[in-house]
Amino acid sequence: MKAALFSSARYTGPAPGGWPVPATDYSNEIAQQTMQRALDQFRLADEVGFDWVTVAEHHFAPFSLTPNPMVMAGALTQVVRRAKIALLGATVPILNPIRVAEEFAMLDAMTGGRVVAGMLRGTPNEYVTYNVNPAESRERFEEALRLIQMAWTEKQPFGWQGRHYQYRAISIWPRPVQKPHPPIYMSGSSPESGEFAAKNRIGLGFAVTSLPLAVKAAKHYREQAAIAGWTPTPDEFIYRCTFHCAETDEQAWEDVTANAPKGPRVGHTMSNQALEQAIAGTGYYGRDIDNQRERLMPGDLQERIDTAQMLLGSPETILKQVKKIRDELGAGIIDFTLGLQLGAKTMKSIELLGTKVVPRMHEL
Amino acid sequence: MVAVTQSAQEQTAEPGAAFVERTVEADGCRIRYCEAGQGDVLLAFHGGGGVRLTGAHDLLAERYRVLAFEVPGFGDSPINERLTSQRDVAALMHKALASLGIARYGVMAHAFTSKLGLWLAIDQPDAVEALVLVAPSAIKLDTPRPKATTEAEKLALLHAHPERLKHPPPPSPEVDAKQRATVERLNGPTREPELEAAMAGLKLPVMAAFGTRDRLNPPEIAHLYKEILPSCHLMMVYDAAHAVDVDRPEALAAVVTDFLTLRDRFLVNYESSVIHP
Repeated sequence: MKAALFSSARYTGPAPGGWPVPATDYSNEIAQQTMQRALDQFRLADEVGFDWVTVAEHHFAPFSLTPNPMVMAGALTQVVRRAKIALLGATVPILNPIRVAEEFAMLDAMTGGRVVAGMLRGTPNEYVTYNVNPAESRERFEEALRLIQMAWTEKQPFGWQGRHYQYRAISIWPRPVQKPHPPIYMSGSSPESGEFAAKNRIGLGFAVTSLPLAVKAAKHYREQAAIAGWTPTPDEFIYRCTFHCAETDEQAWEDVTANAPKGPRVGHTMSNQALEQAIAGTGYYGRDIDNQRERLMPGDLQERIDTAQMLLGSPETILKQVKKIRDELGAGIIDFTLGLQLGAKTMKSIELLGTKVVPRMHEL
Repeated sequence: MVAVTQSAQEQTAEPGAAFVERTVEADGCRIRYCEAGQGDVLLAFHGGGGVRLTGAHDLLAERYRVLAFEVPGFGDSPINERLTSQRDVAALMHKALASLGIARYGVMAHAFTSKLGLWLAIDQPDAVEALVLVAPSAIKLDTPRPKATTEAEKLALLHAHPERLKHPPPPSPEVDAKQRATVERLNGPTREPELEAAMAGLKLPVMAAFGTRDRLNPPEIAHLYKEILPSCHLMMVYDAAHAVDVDRPEALAAVVTDFLTLRDRFLVNYESSVIHP
């Protein structure tokens, strides 16, 4: 198995709730500290043995100060010398796909071929960001992905006459180092995504979900892959969950319970109910709407641990939880997410995971 | 972009309903063609299945005088044994156009007739103003092409979403056999050095359009046209298979109209991005 460290570069100063989040209390100093801390944590992850470091795209909220993860990844090319840099990912339907293709190719060239290309639809609220109709999300995603792959592989200038995208001449420079292109992952929580990924031999990433829901989605993906004539390997599955690791279980629990916000954790989309309901009404969630909404609902700490949304404890305890994810989901890559920022304790958590869990994951 | 106003979905009549069937004599051969529209002349040459008028033809006829010619040996026309290559057919078509008093024209050739279109442009440089190749088969690789035996398999090869379309009845076995024999006789080898050498000297602008889901002439071979033709624009038509004009009629007609109207200037987007003045 492989281990990734994901940081959203969460702003740690005071901020109101909801989405989009007003910047009334924004501090330049805290933001700069936040981004520097993220770079330091990624550097440490690289040094202690993580296989990947991961950045992602989220907008208009202190949860993430990487609205363009390509920019953070560009900085990481100068900090992370060994690990792969995974962008999980670009929110493709709201972006210019040619720009996405160019930026991934740049990063692949700058790292000598160490980029992992996550192509996501994003959380529902992201469609407000650049004023894109969420009802067209899936169609835009599928077309953009095909276009990006062609931009990476076709050496002659070509035009594109699509449904949602139109270009008269495309010929990107630089070119991806990895051939035919960097490995691609997409979100696989919905049945429609699983079917598309299976048909196109694309790896799946599970985020903002629980292990039981991921297992169900992975089963559907494997069935669809069998119909398409192939068998996904563990490397086709990324499972993202938050974590905190300390020398002992008791210490880990104390760290988290003493510092975690009171009450259940509420994500972007569910923090604006009117927006969520409006987007649900567009058909964004697809045919599995109940499960897709359920996975966005807040849960308390124990519930999140029980469903492997959070891995918490000593290295030994976390390894057991990792094995459970491997056994039940068949995932080959765990994307360990930095939830709380606890200063030295978080750095220690990364170090413990890298030195005491990751080597044993490699043997699994 | 040049406006193409009517979408296929908005059309109530069957595709091609506005076209009138006519014939023209040339070199002792009666040639059938279907015509609609007014303006500059656009010749439309069919693929290996014979003339099929589509929503793309209808949309193009809103701006051009479209003449969809039938190669002798297709449909109800008899085989013309004197025609031994697509260059011969191109010469015959030029004579037919002369009989109609047409001196200058654009050409859109689909798949099998892409060699015809190329020879017409090569041999009649003063007549052909621009050339559009759709799912062209003028250059092919020697790798095996997918085969289809049943009608369902044939439709799956031609279309990205055959289940969404209304299909015309297949030709009778006799017509089908005649058309296959004509294709076989006129097709030529997968690579023709004489043709490719002539293509390299072609000065007029060419657009080569490929369906991104075409398994017969897949987009992976598109680069060959770009490498040989001095002024070639590759155009990928998303979610279209071999029958690009049937699968994405609006998309094809729009880009063909832009290209024929603007030529190389079609690379520039002239649409305003102003939302509210």
